Amino acid sequence: MENTAPILSIKGYGKTYGEGKRAADNVSLTVERGDIFGFIGHNGAGKSTTIRAVVGVLDFTEGEILIDGHSVKNDPMACKRITAYIPDNPDLYDNLTGIQYLNFIADVFGIGASEREASFRKYADMFEITESLGDLIGSYSHGMKQKVALVSALIHKPKLMVLDEPFVGLDPKAAFTLKEIMHEMCKEGSAVFFSTHVLDVAEKLCNKVAIIKKGRIIASGTMEELTEGRSLEEVFLEGVDEK
Amino acid sequence: MKSKSPVLLKALLLSTSLFNKYKYCKDKKKKGKIAGGCIAYFFLYAMLVFYAFATCVGYGRLGIIETVPGICALTISLLSFLFTFFKTNGYLFNFKEYDMLMALPFSPSTVAACKFSYMYIKSLPMYLVISLSVMAGYGMYAKPGFMTYPLWILLSLFVPVIPMLIAAFIGFLITKVSAGFKLKKLVQTILTFVFVIFCFSLRFMIEGIFRNDKVEDVLTAAAEGIDKACGIYLPAGWFTAAVTKSSLSDSLLLVGISLVLFELVFLIVGKNYRQINSALSSHDASGDYHMTSQKAGSVVNAVAFKEFRRMMGSTNYLVNVGMGVILAAIFGIVVLIFGFENVIQKVTQNAPLDGEMLIPAIPFIIYFFIGMMSTAACSPSLEGKNYWIVQSLPIDKKVLYRGKMLFNMYLTLPFSVFSTLCLCISAHVSPVGTVLALVLGIALCAFSTAWGCVCGIRFIKLEWENEIEVIKQGKATMIYMFPNMFINMGLIVLMVVLGKMLDHNLLTAGMILIVTLLAALSYLRAMSLAKKS
Repeated sequence: MENTAPILSIKGYGKTYGEGKRAADNVSLTVERGDIFGFIGHNGAGKSTTIRAVVGVLDFTEGEILIDGHSVKNDPMACKRITAYIPDNPDLYDNLTGIQYLNFIADVFGIGASEREASFRKYADMFEITESLGDLIGSYSHGMKQKVALVSALIHKPKLMVLDEPFVGLDPKAAFTLKEIMHEMCKEGSAVFFSTHVLDVAEKLCNKVAIIKKGRIIASGTMEELTEGRSLEEVFLEGVDEK
Repeated sequence: MKSKSPVLLKALLLSTSLFNKYKYCKDKKKKGKIAGGCIAYFFLYAMLVFYAFATCVGYGRLGIIETVPGICALTISLLSFLFTFFKTNGYLFNFKEYDMLMALPFSPSTVAACKFSYMYIKSLPMYLVISLSVMAGYGMYAKPGFMTYPLWILLSLFVPVIPMLIAAFIGFLITKVSAGFKLKKLVQTILTFVFVIFCFSLRFMIEGIFRNDKVEDVLTAAAEGIDKACGIYLPAGWFTAAVTKSSLSDSLLLVGISLVLFELVFLIVGKNYRQINSALSSHDASGDYHMTSQKAGSVVNAVAFKEFRRMMGSTNYLVNVGMGVILAAIFGIVVLIFGFENVIQKVTQNAPLDGEMLIPAIPFIIYFFIGMMSTAACSPSLEGKNYWIVQSLPIDKKVLYRGKMLFNMYLTLPFSVFSTLCLCISAHVSPVGTVLALVLGIALCAFSTAWGCVCGIRFIKLEWENEIEVIKQGKATMIYMFPNMFINMGLIVLMVVLGKMLDHNLLTAGMILIVTLLAALSYLRAMSLAKKS
């Protein structure tokens, strides 16, 4: 039977740091298959805290996060098998070559030799890094590292791709390629959930958006519902400036 | 997911493999450095082989070769325990690729177990070099049966496992407790200090237990001491029984308990892994700062303050550079309470030394602790990926390194003065002698700072995965620490010998001149290296 559960469902998620500082407060949102979901907010608004909890990196006690119907808290392995995550500043192993790193990730996901080769070729060519894959990651620029991280995230065909500020550091062509890949993934029934500060990108790329301010979702919905003819920038600034 | 462990372990090993780096590195200068590092390792291992073998020859000639397997097991156990304990925070917890690994389909216990196995495999060559050298020496003198050799080789792989697991588990408990506090790093540092100081005291407590026996013969005493230690620390006893009596049951006990303990430890650690790492990676931010009046300061002081914040932000850094000064202060207080003479008798195990003889060596005794580590030796490398900040700022490199040196002086000087004063008061040193001892202590701090800075700049390593690589295992730290420590021990002896022939004040004054000259030369060298860097 086909799974009809949303690909990502966050229900009442909350996270408190130290002596009562609320980094996330009753965050709830739903990402359906085929969605490109933009998560926007100021610096320190709680975007990364939420994203890290979604991908099972950050422990949390309040609320529930489900990926394709599996609980991140109770069944993290099932969630991770169908998710790909790229942090804002990917820390890869500097002393591995690009191809060694990709093979490591492919081994983790149990991808066969011919399948992985085809994926490596496809995505490395798209991001124009094939020629550099034999070099040590330590010798790569920030953008190159990000491209390797992106290729590694795509090779296991994730149902949900979670990205934290994916366009920072990418050259214009790579940014365009990534947007194309996002569209392609969504056409095939996967979903993308990403945080960004670049409102123009979010407006053009996403079909759904949530705005987070001081750990609380202040607006969420389809782009049309949210903007009602105005620009996303206007909606965002109006929302975050409200006391 | 257990089947994924080899995949992760392989990636972890490959990511720090010098061979892999050499093979794919295109920079000839870097390749040369890697080759140089390998040669340095070769010499280090050659020294270990020589030392371990020479020890066996000594024991063989003294006719107590039967104690050698026990000594071997105890030495490896102690080394593996200490090395693992100091590496737990940084390798097992709070490592930088935590997010990347935990987002992959690995269970927390798999990640923790692989990280532990990585530590084990990386340190195994050192333990094997010691063990197999001792085995060769033991074979030469004890002429054991054939079965001893395969058993020795096999069990050498397991001897470090239990102490490493115990150290990792204690590290885990400390991290777990401190993760519950707002000031996690401070609590973690304090608990680590307390545990290390407890371990130091334990040495004297255990020694006290052995002393109760009235054994007249020194050699018999040593042999019985090792037997007792093997009786207290059972795995060493199992190893000894296995290799000397070819005991299968003892071999199975060592292997079996190691494996069971491994499973048990990582079952417990795995259950708490995400919670602890989440707590460690979360930073409490009050967000309620209000702009107040600010103060302008000198660049050198600004760099020194930056170094202070860097130290306070890292448990590993704080424990490593703070251990010496804290121990110096504790030693000073202990001497003040129990008396110089009594403490010296206890530490030197009733050697024919009296307090008077050791008075000229007081500044060097204190320097043994104070000079253990110099922040200036590892702080250049600790800049790591942040090096661009100081590189892009309009700071002369000389000023930058002066700031780093100033911080080491701020850190060591008060402790040196305090501890030297405590010892001088307790030993009833004359006022002139006390002043001279204080000045010599200050000169030694200056030397430690400048020499540390020379090593730090000369062997700077900005590319590292984990700060432990530069704090504990960096070339700069090693080259600063070991000659400094051994020469200082020699100087303590020299001061005692010269103190019998010369006036103490004259001797100390002479030393002040020599140490000041060495400090000045080191400072000039550091400045010259800074200019070139």
